[in-house]
Amino acid sequence: MSKCRRKVQIRTVRSRLTVVLVAAILCGAIAAGALAQSAGKSTLIGKLEGPEVVTDPARFPKSFSESPQLTALVKAGKLPPVAERVGQDPLVIKPLKEIGKYGGMWRAGFTGPADFWNGFRCCSGPDHLMFWDYTGDKVVPNLAKGLEMQDGGKTWLVHLRRGMKWSDGKPFTADDFVFWFEDIYRNKDLVPTPSATLAINGKQGVIEKVDTYTVRYKFPEPYFMLPDVLAGSTELAGQMWGYRAMGGFAPAHYLKQFLPKYVKAEELDKKVKDAKFDSWVRLFLNRNDWAVNPDLPVLSPWKTVTPINTPTWTLERNPYSVFVDTAGNQLPYIDKVVLTLAENLEVLNLRAIAGEYDYASRHVDLGKLPVFIENQQKGNYKVHLDPGDYCDLIIKFNLNYDADPEIGKWFNTADFRRALSLGIDRDQINETFWLGTGTPGSVVPVDSNKYNPGPQYRKLWATLDVKKANEMLDKIGLAKKDAEGYRLRADGKGRLRIEIMTLGAQFVQYTQISEMIREQWKKIGIDLKVQEVERSLALKRTAANEQQLGAWNNDGSEHLFTFPLHVFPFEVDAVSSSGPLYAKWFQSGGTQGKEPEPRMKEMMEKWKKAFGVPEKERIALGKEVWKIAAEEVYIIGVVGQGPAAMGVRVVKNNMGNIPARMYNSPDGKTPGVSRPATFYWKN
Amino acid sequence: MLAYIGRRALLAVFTVWAISVLSFAIIQLPPGDYVTSYIAQMASMGSVVSDEEAQNLRIQYGLGQPIYVQYLKWMKLMVVGNFGMSMEWRRPVTEVIGDRLWLTIVVALASLLLTWVLALPIGIYSAVRQYSPGDYVATFIGFIGLAVPNFLLALVILYFGFVFFNANIGGLFTPDFQDAPWGLAKVWDLAKHLPVPALILGLAGTAQQIRIMRANLLDELRKPYVVTARSKGLSELRVILKYPVRVALNPFASTIGYTLPYIVSGSIIVSLVLGLPTVGPLLLKALIAQDMFLAGTIVLLLGVMTVIGTLISDILLVWVDPRIRLEET
Repeated sequence: MSKCRRKVQIRTVRSRLTVVLVAAILCGAIAAGALAQSAGKSTLIGKLEGPEVVTDPARFPKSFSESPQLTALVKAGKLPPVAERVGQDPLVIKPLKEIGKYGGMWRAGFTGPADFWNGFRCCSGPDHLMFWDYTGDKVVPNLAKGLEMQDGGKTWLVHLRRGMKWSDGKPFTADDFVFWFEDIYRNKDLVPTPSATLAINGKQGVIEKVDTYTVRYKFPEPYFMLPDVLAGSTELAGQMWGYRAMGGFAPAHYLKQFLPKYVKAEELDKKVKDAKFDSWVRLFLNRNDWAVNPDLPVLSPWKTVTPINTPTWTLERNPYSVFVDTAGNQLPYIDKVVLTLAENLEVLNLRAIAGEYDYASRHVDLGKLPVFIENQQKGNYKVHLDPGDYCDLIIKFNLNYDADPEIGKWFNTADFRRALSLGIDRDQINETFWLGTGTPGSVVPVDSNKYNPGPQYRKLWATLDVKKANEMLDKIGLAKKDAEGYRLRADGKGRLRIEIMTLGAQFVQYTQISEMIREQWKKIGIDLKVQEVERSLALKRTAANEQQLGAWNNDGSEHLFTFPLHVFPFEVDAVSSSGPLYAKWFQSGGTQGKEPEPRMKEMMEKWKKAFGVPEKERIALGKEVWKIAAEEVYIIGVVGQGPAAMGVRVVKNNMGNIPARMYNSPDGKTPGVSRPATFYWKN
Repeated sequence: MLAYIGRRALLAVFTVWAISVLSFAIIQLPPGDYVTSYIAQMASMGSVVSDEEAQNLRIQYGLGQPIYVQYLKWMKLMVVGNFGMSMEWRRPVTEVIGDRLWLTIVVALASLLLTWVLALPIGIYSAVRQYSPGDYVATFIGFIGLAVPNFLLALVILYFGFVFFNANIGGLFTPDFQDAPWGLAKVWDLAKHLPVPALILGLAGTAQQIRIMRANLLDELRKPYVVTARSKGLSELRVILKYPVRVALNPFASTIGYTLPYIVSGSIIVSLVLGLPTVGPLLLKALIAQDMFLAGTIVLLLGVMTVIGTLISDILLVWVDPRIRLEET
């Protein structure tokens, strides 16, 4: 009787397994089928291309034209003529394919006031002084006409565009830089800690006015990185940082009315009270917020009309936009950008699938790629993939972990880290979660990146080699195993259990992938516990040095010097860290925290040194940083160069000047790097 | 009667105060505060907030002070009708909630209405024609309504709506009307979007109410006074509607207590799935971001609604059922 029952039980377990397996295979087959139908990866990932900033005066347009909407306003006497509005030196952009047509609306979704990057990426221009060309590799002039290095890199002159104006028609001049520097940046209430971006080797620089259209940045030591810093998504780059008082410039004529220096105390108090704020600081930061304040004068091609804290975030063309195409048409072509609030990501994705968005890549889920492809015709859109140049999934060892000295010791053993990396079947993960579109490998950026140390580093300690991993673990003193095949701790306290901390609802499915790694590590006798936590808790645990392993991605790290957060412990407040005490040591200049081990220290020093040396030397230093990273495996690279982070792009078929593939990175403010101001409606 | 209401009202004021303390305490429970969640959010976008800046933010928002000081500050604001500033939305809490409150009420009332319109007659029918095919069908559908999680139903309906009817995904308006000023066309647009969420939100409630109505009415129908009424030759309709149904209505009246808060928070998950611009998703987001004034105000509002709802249902019960009145005196 009991035997009989047991058999039945086994059978049900088995049949359940079969059902799961069949379902999994079916899903896989459907996904593969859908991919095959569209002829696979090759047609989804096109050629990297994009518009160009024209710097040769011979190719500048001689006359200018504008949107019919604005012509009407000029005729009514409400606006000065277009040539006057764009000034003497407009920013000329050669559209990717052709000169576009004016008009239309661009619909997309956003997830709430915390999603401000959404609008900055699409619609801010970008309004950096310098910016990247479409490859993301070269710095080109942007709002600034050019940069001039003097004094061996200690002084930089920024040349502004003559006659350029804020969106309210007031001139944009060197005074706006001095105002920002003197009255905002140096105000302790607004900026309690000076920015590292305006300093070299911890020594702050100054910003001065030379004449109306020339600004001088002066540093105590050579600062060769400055062009990259102005181009990257750093605190010196544009009005998007206004909400935390940074940006490098600000509309003096508008913002003075909110500063105690220029306004009587009672008057300011009244303004603060009327707006229901607690302090003038909150009011000021609110008024200096590109996404929140429609009254704020801006320099971007579109400007906020209904703010981000309402159900629709609407942006309309800036009549004083300094951007023009090669035929002299003032950009943008598209009149209006409308971002509608999606209460959750599923709704956002379903709307994109239904073709309710004209262009969407942010929040588009790679896991739904087959469904996106299936509905291409019905939704009248095309799917493009924009793989990043970085790793989509990395695993950080917390080298400072000391709550359990035994585990801390193993994390600090290079061969332990390497063996764990060798125990990961990256191909399986790539097929399952990236549908085969990613590239398995170590933490180093894409081979074409200028800091990439060489193709051999892609595979270094980053292939599946269970045998070698087991040998290495045996050798370092973890040879003993328990009955279930898991390795035992050296201190005799049972099984060696390690824990990985993951976050849910991110661009990458950290938790699910970690579960797969847990299964894979069973083969090398490592018992992994996957723990998904809420992000505030993650931050708190990391800061308290309670994290063991942490899963994240290293997006942005292809720009090693403007985005080092996921290369070595750089920031103290991180959701996952390879050493919070090291980060503290680094940030405090060695006065707090813990001194890193020699190789880690070498990495940090080389990174720091690179800011003060010419580009050629910097590239050599960058390669060495990545070399150490790959050799020491402080961070395991799993799968990268995939489209997981904002790399699945859904664009209507009749939208023009859309690149087949674009550089995908926070530094490129993608799609900003493709200059959405040149996108247009063909019909 | 008046003394009874007065006593209840006094109790209500005390309860609301207790709720305000509780809701404030609950919001303080999770680790960290708004600034931690802000830093985490910045970190996940790759930018750094320095310790000094975090400290400064805490001072600006008054997060560094002891909890009772923060509570008193909040109380002081509330007494003058200012519920503070939402940290995440950077707007006054009253505005943020106000934006969504009316739509929330519309959706909830629609679903409530639907529930009652469906549940009452079906419940009565099921009881009177117990074990008839109609009763079985109603019971069957009722159980499905109870058993199917409504967020799943929402997903299914959303998907089929898109595949077969090309309907807009989620929300209460077509995109064109989203920002349009209120007018007849916009109201009509809302009316067209309303049935689906109302049906989904109301389905579980309907099933439940059908069961309650049926059970109560069955109890009543077997009582001697019904037999007496029948034997006196009253028409069947009159026999049933005059007394047993009135008695069986008691549970309907008493559910108002928890229906009112439901009107405000709706079903959070269903609203999320359907992308409804109601207060429910707002509460969830506020809790995640630890936007304490916003979350606190919504929780408090829910508490107040429960208290008012209970008060109303107490009064309604007294009115519907004279026996309660008698017990009181």
